[in-house]
Amino acid sequence: MDLILQFLHNTGFYLADYRNLIMIVVGSFFVYLAIHKNYEPLLLLPIGFGVILGNIPFFKGFGIGIYEANSVLHYLYFGVTSGVYPSIIFLGLGAMTDFSFLLANPKLMLLGAAAQMGIFFTYLCALGLGFTAPEASSIGIIGGADGPTSIFLTAKLAPHLIGPIAIAAYSYMALIPIIQPPIMLLLTSREERLIRMPEMREVSRKEIIIFPVVGMILCTFLAPASIPLLGPFFFGNILKESGVVDRLANTARTAIIDTATILVGLTVGASTQGDVFLNPKSVGIFLLGAVAFSIATASGILFGKFMNLFLKEKINPLLGAAGVSAVPGSAREVHMMGQREDRTNFLLMHAVACNSSGVIGSAVCAGILWSFLIG
Amino acid sequence: MFGLEAIAHNNGWTIAATGAGIVFAGLSALSFVISQLHKLVALLDRPPKTIVEVVVEETKPIWMPPDCPNDIQVAITLYHPLIEELPSEFELAELYGLAKKYHLPHPHLSIRCLRDAGKLEFLGDGLFRYVA
Repeated sequence: MDLILQFLHNTGFYLADYRNLIMIVVGSFFVYLAIHKNYEPLLLLPIGFGVILGNIPFFKGFGIGIYEANSVLHYLYFGVTSGVYPSIIFLGLGAMTDFSFLLANPKLMLLGAAAQMGIFFTYLCALGLGFTAPEASSIGIIGGADGPTSIFLTAKLAPHLIGPIAIAAYSYMALIPIIQPPIMLLLTSREERLIRMPEMREVSRKEIIIFPVVGMILCTFLAPASIPLLGPFFFGNILKESGVVDRLANTARTAIIDTATILVGLTVGASTQGDVFLNPKSVGIFLLGAVAFSIATASGILFGKFMNLFLKEKINPLLGAAGVSAVPGSAREVHMMGQREDRTNFLLMHAVACNSSGVIGSAVCAGILWSFLIG
Repeated sequence: MFGLEAIAHNNGWTIAATGAGIVFAGLSALSFVISQLHKLVALLDRPPKTIVEVVVEETKPIWMPPDCPNDIQVAITLYHPLIEELPSEFELAELYGLAKKYHLPHPHLSIRCLRDAGKLEFLGDGLFRYVA
C-alpha cells in the first residue's frame, strides 16, 4: 500500500502546480495556433509542445527537468544557453537568403537600420521599469524580431531570462499578421500604400558572391561581438552563392537549420516551467516585447516616409515594416498589405530586401549591446 | 531604481544613442559599398589592355591591267606596220610575237582592243585578217 501511495505521490497528478497547468494551457494554445491557424508552425509547434513538455510535474532531483544537471533536456538546452543553436540557425538562414534584391536596391538597407530603433527604445523603457542593463538589452533585442538573435544575446547577458524572452520573441514573430497590419494602416495613407517600386536591375553573379565577404568584413569590423551570428550567416550565404558546394549549402538550409530549429524550439519551450516562468518579470518582458516589436515596425515605416522627402523616385513606406528581421513573415505581410490596395502591386521582392537587411541590422545591434555591457 | 533616474544611472541615453548611431552608420556604409559594387565588378570585368602590334605590310604593287589605249587610232597606227609584215590571214599569236619583238607597250591589251574595235576580223580556225 505504501508503495502505491509513494508511486502516487511521484505522479504528475499529485505534484501538479497551478502554474504548470496554466503553462500547459498556454502550450496547448500555441500548438492550436500552429496547427489550426497555421501561425508560424515551424516555430510555434516545437515551442508549444516544449511548453507542455517542460510543465509536466516531476519529482525533482532525479535529473529529469531542463534545469537539472545531467538531464537529457539540460544537455539539449546547452545549445541555447551557450548560443550554439542561434549560430547554427544563422548558418542555415544565410544559405537560404537571396541578397540579390538588396544588391539591386541598396537604399532599402536603411529601412532595415531604421527598424532597429525599436530595440534601443525598448532598452530605455526596460531600464525605466527597473530592469538591469543586461536584462534591458536582452528585452530590447526582441524588437529585432529575430528569435535566434534574442536567444543569443540573452544567453550572454541575462541567461535567467532566456525562457520568457525567447517565447516573447518567437510569439511576436508568429503574431506578425496581427501586430503589423494595424500599425501599417495607421501610419500610411492610401496613396503611399499604392506607390509602386521600380523594376529591379539585374545583379551579376560576381556581385552576389562578393557581397557576403564584404558584408561580413564590414559588419564584424564594426561590431566584432556579432561574429558568432554574422560569421555563420555570411558563410552560409557564400556556400549558397558560390555554386561550387551545393551539397553543403543544401544541407545547411535543410537538415542543419531544421535540426537546430527543432532543438531550440523544444528546449526553449521546455524552459518555461511554470514555477520559473510565471512571475511579474515575465509579464513585463511580454509587454515590453510588444512595445519593441510595434516601435520597430513603426520606425521602419516612418523612416520610409522620411526618405521619400528626399528621393525623386519614392519608395513604398510599407517596406519599412519589413525592416524587422522576421523572415519571411513581415515581408509577406507587407506584400499582402500592398496587394490589398492594388492587386497588381508586387512588393514582395523589395520587402525581402528589407528583411535581409533587418537580419544583419539586428545581429549588429546584438553585437553592439553585448560590447557595451561586457566592458 | 525606476524611470529616468534608472536610465541615466545605467548610461541608458548614451548607450541607446550611440548604439542606434553605430547601427545606422554601419548599415549606411554597407549600403554605400554595395551600391558601388557593380562598378567594381565592371572594373574587374573590363578586358585587359593589350598592345596590338599593327604590322604594316609592305604594299606590293598590285598589277592592274592597263586601260585600253585611249585612242584606238594610236593602236592602229602602231600595229598597222606589223600587220603589213604578216600574211593577209594570220594568227593573233603571230601579231603578238611581232609586238613583243618591237617592244610595243601592252601588246595583249592592244590586240584585244583592236579586236573589240572590229579591226581584226575572225575567219575561223584561229585565223584573223585586218579590216581597214
